[in-house]
Amino acid sequence: MRVALGFLFTLAWAVYLGGALAMELVWRPVQRDIPPSQIGAMCRWMGRRYRWLGLGALGLAAVTWLAWRGLGGTVLLASRPAAAVPPAASGWPVAAMVACWGCLAALVLAMGVLLHPRSHARWRAGAHAADAAAARRRKVRALRTMDVLLRVELAVALSTTALVVLPSGPRIGWAA
Amino acid sequence: MTATWVQVLAGYLHLLAVAVYVGGSIAMEFVLGPAQSYVPPAQAQVIGQRSADRFLVLVWGALALFPISGLLLFFSLGDQHTLSGMQFFTTRYGQTLLGMIVLWAVLVVNGAIITFVLRPRLAQRASAQGGGSGVAQRLEVMQSAVKWVSRISRIDLGIAVVIVLLGASLAYGDGIL
Repeated sequence: MRVALGFLFTLAWAVYLGGALAMELVWRPVQRDIPPSQIGAMCRWMGRRYRWLGLGALGLAAVTWLAWRGLGGTVLLASRPAAAVPPAASGWPVAAMVACWGCLAALVLAMGVLLHPRSHARWRAGAHAADAAAARRRKVRALRTMDVLLRVELAVALSTTALVVLPSGPRIGWAA
Repeated sequence: MTATWVQVLAGYLHLLAVAVYVGGSIAMEFVLGPAQSYVPPAQAQVIGQRSADRFLVLVWGALALFPISGLLLFFSLGDQHTLSGMQFFTTRYGQTLLGMIVLWAVLVVNGAIITFVLRPRLAQRASAQGGGSGVAQRLEVMQSAVKWVSRISRIDLGIAVVIVLLGASLAYGDGIL
């Protein structure tokens, strides 16, 4: 049971963090050489799919971690000396990890539900010039905010990974 | 104290390598790849090539990080005694670790095939040289390379997930094999 939970948690976290890293280190630089209209067409589709992938991975990580806590959150490794097994998870690393998880979920939701649809908003051909300009401004603002939030999300995800592997942390990472 | 920090650093790098390989592959395969069908084929080819070039750098970085962080983790956890002598082949822990190393080697071989054999074929441009049959032949070679890259990438993703399972069995048990 512990192996299954550890496997699912690691997989979920890897999918979430790896996806964020791929978007930042692969997709963002590639965008520079593509016409904006085509970036828009791809981003619209990718945003929808990535939202579910990100939320699904975060959800699975939370469920497996809670189940792990339910089992007592201890690791008993038959093959390792007792000295190598740190004391039970408690204190600030766990609280910080929960806060980071909440922050990540909020960021993914904010981008997926609010900012992403706004960044792809269209205005009618016959719309008043002032309305079209306001919609355009909202779109640009949404794109800029998403740009900043994506980087914040990656920084928080990388920090959360450090909390996961801390010996006094949630103890469900590789260093458990 | 130092051993603890080495353990934390090794664990962090190991998890980061897993995330880059597994999570990155899933994002490339199921998010970025299918999205290319929403742009014209010529543009999709350019996007595919550039994104694959960048992702391959990350993949090789992750593949290099696996053994480095894995060895750091192994020694910082004080697991050496579990694999002395023939224990590497006779204990569940040793066999599982051996299985992970073999699968990692398969990923390296597959990565080399994609990087040094299939990618150069995809980078070829179809020119008029050699006439119509020459162009058709090159296109055929490219299409075959695309299919093989796709197949190998999916096999690699499956292998990487199995490696994560084996790793979890070592971290939370005494192996699975």
